[in-house]
Amino acid sequence: MTISKEYRRELKEAHANDRIRLAVSRAVKSYRTNTNNALKKFPQTLKMAEEVRKIKEHSIQHMWELAGQAGQCIEENHGKAYMARTAGDALAIIEGLVGKGKLIVKAKSMTADEIDLREHLEKAGNEVFETDLGEFIIQKMGHRPMHILSPAIHVPREDVAKLFSEITGKELPPDIPQLVATARELLREKFFRADIGISGANVVAADTGTLFIIENEGNIRLTTGAPPVHIALVGMEKLVPALDEAFKVAQVTWRYANYTVPSYVNMVSGPSKTGDIEKVTTYGAHGPKELHVIFMDDGRTRLAANPILRQALYCLRCGGCLYECPVFGLTAGFFGDKYFAGIGAIWAKEVTGNLEKASSMAYTCLTCGRCRVRCPMKIDVPEMILALRKSIAEPE
Amino acid sequence: MAKRNVIRPIPAGLAYIADNINSGDNILGLHKANKSRWAEGIDFSNDTSTVFFAGCGYQYSAMLEPLVTALIQADRVSNNPDLPIKLGGISRKLGVDAAGLFSKAASRDGGGDSSVLRDAVKVLKAVGHDLGYLGEDEPCCGAPLYHMGLQNEFAANAVKAYERLKSAGVRKIIGIVPSCTHALSSLFPKAAPGFDIVVRHFIEAVAENMGNARFKYPDPVKVAYHDPCQLGRYMGLIEQPRAVLRAVENVELVEPEWTAGEWSTCCGGGGGFEVVFPDMSRTLAVNRVAELAETGADIIVTQCPGCLMQLKAGLKDLKNDAIEVVDLATLLARSLP
Repeated sequence: MTISKEYRRELKEAHANDRIRLAVSRAVKSYRTNTNNALKKFPQTLKMAEEVRKIKEHSIQHMWELAGQAGQCIEENHGKAYMARTAGDALAIIEGLVGKGKLIVKAKSMTADEIDLREHLEKAGNEVFETDLGEFIIQKMGHRPMHILSPAIHVPREDVAKLFSEITGKELPPDIPQLVATARELLREKFFRADIGISGANVVAADTGTLFIIENEGNIRLTTGAPPVHIALVGMEKLVPALDEAFKVAQVTWRYANYTVPSYVNMVSGPSKTGDIEKVTTYGAHGPKELHVIFMDDGRTRLAANPILRQALYCLRCGGCLYECPVFGLTAGFFGDKYFAGIGAIWAKEVTGNLEKASSMAYTCLTCGRCRVRCPMKIDVPEMILALRKSIAEPE
Repeated sequence: MAKRNVIRPIPAGLAYIADNINSGDNILGLHKANKSRWAEGIDFSNDTSTVFFAGCGYQYSAMLEPLVTALIQADRVSNNPDLPIKLGGISRKLGVDAAGLFSKAASRDGGGDSSVLRDAVKVLKAVGHDLGYLGEDEPCCGAPLYHMGLQNEFAANAVKAYERLKSAGVRKIIGIVPSCTHALSSLFPKAAPGFDIVVRHFIEAVAENMGNARFKYPDPVKVAYHDPCQLGRYMGLIEQPRAVLRAVENVELVEPEWTAGEWSTCCGGGGGFEVVFPDMSRTLAVNRVAELAETGADIIVTQCPGCLMQLKAGLKDLKNDAIEVVDLATLLARSLP
């Protein structure tokens, strides 16, 4: 009874859906080509990845300490920092800051998905716009994300054209540049009308309190730059001690996320300010007047105590493993919970606490280990899955 | 300690295999007397300090095939591959005559892949390895227990298995099934205190002695090699099979663009997947065969009973009869005079 009926049904439907297989197989091909090229052009990335693994191993053992240090820096920079032990704590803090009746623009964030942040804010009476194109598409379709970086990986262009035609009331052809232009049109004024922008972060330097947010679309610059308030939700595993280490983490992340270099790396350490009139520092210039950073534990400390499963916290969320997973190639994110595929099973068990999902996913993993070959952190997913299976099959 | 037929919180197909290992000392719970039949007529050494470890997979593939086919049917029709297993007496339910099938599988060239074992021994002897074989006394390695999460049961079995190996005076093992060989070499030392038997895989034993025999395939052929996950990524035996294949006259080794060696794609049978998600497992087999077929190979070679079964089934589903799937041991045996 470890595989839930509902999960089995979802996988079966995904398996029968040729469009998913087609979309993912195209993505796999271009991912492998792009990443190969990026690593060829920057061969030092491989060595840097080994360094980053060591940085993460150290940082994971000091998450609260680093969060405290980063928080102090952010406060010194006139931002506000918060520590959230649980998902509930994080939601309460953010809901307290947001209130209701607000217009919110949001960057893509796995950590926000982890705690169903958008749904909570909508329920509280706010209007939330996802601004990442993929995330915008699936928000409008009412789907859930299917990949870490490409949430709409399973949706071919024809389906996007149909969706955008319905939204705009105009007949749009399945022409990708035209669809991208339409999204720009639809979202442009939202950025400037929004009361609040919400983002995550890829890595945070504790010694400066600097959040690194990697992107290509430019939606995050606008989300974190245009509205008067910026709220950032950060999982504590994202913290590293120093700024130069954060740079390394960021570089390795984007290379394995299939970019030689991303269009933008946003670095945020505090609210916007100016001293241009009489050298009097004044907060709230062109950027936000307020920055709120929530550092969330949500099971990460418990996970860090497990000598095998703690590897899940080293994950940079580059998404590379997913392209190498044969099962993901058939099912996309249906082999997933909040996080996907083999490593997603660990997060389901230890962080989101979805035990039924975790045990279903534990036995969906082939334990073939190709994800480990791809992973810049060399996370041993089969080893973690076997430990997870043991905890299911032979509970203590 | 190992228990028999307890209710376990794991998928039914896996629990079925676990019960068989614990009660019958093999994955299908078959009677031991038949176990060494594949070896009839082979002249093994009486000295069992170095033994050939045959394992379950090759011997029982003739029985596993109808089992997996039945599971796929159940999966497609009812979305419940556990059904035939839960109803109990799977052999009865499937209309499979276990004893009959077994003796067929166990007899020489009687279907299935037990002939691979004969081929492997022939090749090992040809390159100069002197081997014993424990026959009915060969213990089950219990590897599936470990992979399905029953690691305490695996350890209990490993202790017993090591006792038996030790009392037979075994010092060195040459394994052929990847998962048995991986279990014996990497998992036993942690599970069975004092374990000091040297365990190597067939391909290592062949690679180091390759020069002792001349290997020439009867006709010129293009061969694509499929890396079994446990042999390649788990045990790092990626170069050896390729070196061996390159040393066979008339064989041209061809490789898929992205998916060779450590990047090899799983056949779809990894981790017990074929009994948990049989229908998807078959699709993965088809996908893998398609990748290998793109190389223009005449023969797909691998060295794992699970991969062999999966790839053959995938090829059949693709309706591709231009390509043959054979075990590396078989290809080598065919290449001997």
